[in-house]
Amino acid sequence: MKKLTKEIICILPCNGLDKSLGVIAREVSLKVIEKNSDVQLICPVLLNNGDEKYETLIQTAKIIIINGCMTRCPTKLIEERKLKPFKQIMIPDMSKKYKVKPTKDLILNEENIKLAELIANEIITDLNKINQEKENNIREFQEQEFFDITVDKYYFTVPKEGYFFNENDCWIKPEGNTALLGITDYLQNAASDILFVDLPELGDEIEQFDDTGSFESSKTVLQLISPGSGRIIAINKRLEQNPELMNQDPYRKGWFVEIELDNFEEDKELLMNGSEYFDYMKNKIMKEKNHLAKINGERDV
Amino acid sequence: MSNSYEADKETFMGVPRNKIPWWPTIDYDKCNFCMECDKFCPHKVYEKTDDDVRKLIIKNPYNCVVFCRACAKTCAPDALTFPDKKEISQLIKKLRSE
Repeated sequence: MKKLTKEIICILPCNGLDKSLGVIAREVSLKVIEKNSDVQLICPVLLNNGDEKYETLIQTAKIIIINGCMTRCPTKLIEERKLKPFKQIMIPDMSKKYKVKPTKDLILNEENIKLAELIANEIITDLNKINQEKENNIREFQEQEFFDITVDKYYFTVPKEGYFFNENDCWIKPEGNTALLGITDYLQNAASDILFVDLPELGDEIEQFDDTGSFESSKTVLQLISPGSGRIIAINKRLEQNPELMNQDPYRKGWFVEIELDNFEEDKELLMNGSEYFDYMKNKIMKEKNHLAKINGERDV
Repeated sequence: MSNSYEADKETFMGVPRNKIPWWPTIDYDKCNFCMECDKFCPHKVYEKTDDDVRKLIIKNPYNCVVFCRACAKTCAPDALTFPDKKEISQLIKKLRSE
């Protein structure tokens, strides 16, 4: 799977050191970049001096502005360059919103840190939402080679490389320290037409073999039993409108959730690679076929 | 959707299925015998009986798919429990290494 180039997000705070609001704005920015290292910090003083690196960066980046007071210095810096900020925050507005009144101390105190923390959390939540929407809409998948087998009217595939499987017919596709999770072609065939999905919550911590959401077909309700452990960082919201993607493209567009991996090396001990799972799946299909034949009074195949 | 038709010969992750104690336990103080779990489970884990007190029993525990708890979702009075998943996965790892 290939992810498209990441969008750059910058944060441009007021740096007014002569007012507590400026100090809070600076603290908000530091807390945001502490929690999301992808966000780049822009120094307003250096930008005002026409720093070449910053001038180039702000032309393409999404800019979050943190204004300390109504002078709105960071906003003016951006407007002078005929650019539009992606998001603007006024510390006094946020103070009213969160009912936390900042003191005038220039050295950060407990109350002002609390306000900075609340504002930073709001920004982080917004950024997570944006990332999630982006992930849901702009995922590209590379061509994949499959093992395949046809049994009666059913066609089953298993990716040859890059995926790992548990015996609960769910897959995990690790990529760096994150991984996509989904169900196998076998399980979607067994379920038949999937009509509803019940996705887990973003941020949930899951352990290997945890129930990580469920899906309902015309025949039954099934669970995705996680092949890996970690924190859920994205869910495939498209499945809520288009659950049939799990039937049509179970290994790619039908992905269920993305997790930040805890310890995949340990998880792998109880997983199979593509070739092993293909053998396991074939064996299971043939057993079921024989079983059905017995039930139907037919001769064994 | 794995069916364990011959539980004594079945394995899960290379471990004989009958060495893995994973199946539901029915809390008879809570169960209202709606039989939704039995209707739901395609693996014939449950069986209805003529017993007045225990109208439903775990008939085929090793048919239960290890780590599946889907039947518990159908249980309105929350009368079904499963073993600790972490303990079971540790047990499987231990048995695999033997």
